[in-house]
Amino acid sequence: MAFECSLEMTPQGIAKITLSGELDASVAQEFRDKVDEAASQKAKRLVLLMAGLEYMASAGLRSLIFAKQKMGTGVDIYVVAAQEPILDTLTMTGFQHSVILMDTYDAATIEQL
Amino acid sequence: MPDLTPLTVPGELESLKAVREYVTDATSMAGLDKTLTNRLRLAVDEIVTNSIVHGYQESGQEGAIWIRARLDDEKLTVIVEDEGPYYDPTQHRIPSAEDLGQPLDTREIGGLGIYLAIRSIDEFRYERTATRNRNIFVVYRSAPARAE
Repeated sequence: MAFECSLEMTPQGIAKITLSGELDASVAQEFRDKVDEAASQKAKRLVLLMAGLEYMASAGLRSLIFAKQKMGTGVDIYVVAAQEPILDTLTMTGFQHSVILMDTYDAATIEQL
Repeated sequence: MPDLTPLTVPGELESLKAVREYVTDATSMAGLDKTLTNRLRLAVDEIVTNSIVHGYQESGQEGAIWIRARLDDEKLTVIVEDEGPYYDPTQHRIPSAEDLGQPLDTREIGGLGIYLAIRSIDEFRYERTATRNRNIFVVYRSAPARAE
């Protein structure tokens, strides 16, 4: 499936990026562009909705590093509904310590700044 | 035991999807489970991405990626070649356990792709022919073989 990503900013300043398809080196820039956009809008939190993301290469991991460095240490990154292979990749490389993993979208937690 | 028909694609990032599809065809032929399929797919993607970006693009060279698969009773072997400058992924510095424990804001990003590639599969080997880099990926078909 072709890669797609879209950004929604909530009124409280939460950036929700929905990712679907396959995230590899050929499309990672699209993801980083959305992160740039979220940062320029001073997002207070970054929520990555990954239920539709079938695949993620290290380009995706590097984009997460980019996101963290771009948005600053005060901005938490949530990874919601990541599929098994992607969780595998995140834990193999120690990323599970730096993002908040959630199986499902927990509005109470995510939307409470 | 069959070999899949080899695939040749341009050495461009747009070829990665076709490369991954070839790998999943090979794992399907080998009857590998989902986890092994995903890991081999990732490993090959990472190495091919490096060949394209660090091999061809950074040296301003154009070239192809050749990929073939070989199946026997014990294992599935995928062989990927490019004709970029000499590049042995096993010689690259890969992240240590300490590196991987670093928070994202201070994380070094080099070597992640190679780390994933080598860690994801049972065996990885690099060879250099007269004109090509050859990357060899091996996944054992059964757990007992893996345990040896």
